[in-house]
Amino acid sequence: MHPSLSFDQAPPISVPYRFFLVAPWFGVLAGILLAWAGGEVFVSRWTPEALALTHLIALGFMLQAMCGALFQFIPVAVGGNVWRPELVANTVQPLLLLATLLLVAGFLFGRPVLLSAAVPFFLLALGGFVVVVALALWRTPATGMTLWAMRLAIGGLAITVLLGSLLAEALARGLAVPIVELTNVHLAWGLGGWALMLLAGVSYHVVPMFQLTKPYPLWFTRWFGPLLLLLLLIWSARLFLDLSRWLPLVVLPLLLILSAYAGLTLWLQYTRRRKIHDATSLYFRVAMLSMLALAVSGAAFVLWPVLGADPRSAVWLGVLALAGIFVSAISGMMYKIVPFLNWLHLQRLGGPISAVPNMKKMIPAEAMTGQLRLHVLAVVLLLAAVWQPGLARLAGLALAASFAWLGWNLIGSVRRYQGFRDQIRAAA
Amino acid sequence: MSTVIDGRELQPPEPMELTLAALDTLADGDEVLLLLYCQPHPLYSILRQNGYTWSEESREDGTREIRIRKQLG
Repeated sequence: MHPSLSFDQAPPISVPYRFFLVAPWFGVLAGILLAWAGGEVFVSRWTPEALALTHLIALGFMLQAMCGALFQFIPVAVGGNVWRPELVANTVQPLLLLATLLLVAGFLFGRPVLLSAAVPFFLLALGGFVVVVALALWRTPATGMTLWAMRLAIGGLAITVLLGSLLAEALARGLAVPIVELTNVHLAWGLGGWALMLLAGVSYHVVPMFQLTKPYPLWFTRWFGPLLLLLLLIWSARLFLDLSRWLPLVVLPLLLILSAYAGLTLWLQYTRRRKIHDATSLYFRVAMLSMLALAVSGAAFVLWPVLGADPRSAVWLGVLALAGIFVSAISGMMYKIVPFLNWLHLQRLGGPISAVPNMKKMIPAEAMTGQLRLHVLAVVLLLAAVWQPGLARLAGLALAASFAWLGWNLIGSVRRYQGFRDQIRAAA
Repeated sequence: MSTVIDGRELQPPEPMELTLAALDTLADGDEVLLLLYCQPHPLYSILRQNGYTWSEESREDGTREIRIRKQLG
């Protein structure tokens, strides 16, 4: 149909896929770790296994996937050009992988020297990534709140990495820093300033586009990012000021804006005219319901300190945030991004459009919804295991199996891409 | 003459496929009007490289009206 058209110079498909194909296997490791270590992991958020598990998910799965997605999302959604994407991805991805393994091993085996060894790799990988992405986001002529949220998010990533590096060095060298306060600020920037800010910004673009909802209201997209940033800055003041009496005044509004984002996304899904119940929509629903559950239980822990005093309450919130919200949203996004990229890159081969298969043929729908069901089961078991440690091993196995299925689905999609690509080339 | 493609309730990549199909038969002076809720950067990139111009306007409900023509000269 349009073999004469030349297509855009988006990065080669190997750039995002290098990250996507690795990410789920860190989740498998996390599941195996839980299955091996059992119920003791969830006694508090400070156990070595809990710290290792958190970073396997947050760095190994979430960050790998989010970095890979940004390489593709920046040109496609906000028209920005990432400098030398192949070179940057080929450098950042293995460094990030190595740094994550060192950090996790340091936590798990109680070897501070490994924590310290991970720091330069993190600074090099993510420092380079932040600079290159920030330049692309500031140079693009595009406008809109997705772009602004992405700019704020990349700043959030920079702060998270700096605080994390300081914490690793403090643990390794016994520096006199307030470890607990610093950890609370580090995780707020990691989950709020980076992951949530990016998720919200990406949602403004992809929820209407892929889930066929109305757009997010302008007032919401204008206020959500700046309010989240303001609350994170106030939360961070605890490093310098004694805010313990005032913390509810920061935490409750924070939980309120989380609820607003989650509630609004569910409302947009509910009121769309063309109902689509594909894996992405369902995964987003799971993520948003988890966010509402986190907001309600977080508020309960603040308002009834007896509940919040149990160390397992923080683990409960952690499971909801990591497995319930971010693993769900990212898995759902991967199920849309990967088939779309397959389609886009097959188009760029220049063959007739009839030769390019439908996006729906890239990953079988049953494989995606089956994996989604297993993931939901894993989340439920993880939440139950926080209070019933006897379920932890089963939850770990379910988590490992769910991530392995995700990884397998993505590998299958890449194989199909290669098959279709060879067919189109042979026909030409 | 104007061809209207309402892509607001179509899943990607359908709006792009329909737009590229419409451009194949677009006569000089005619335009394709594409309605979307987002900015289609991959499409803009293709238009830029293949001698098309476009203008974009936003409606109150968040709809973007994208008018595409062949570049003159």
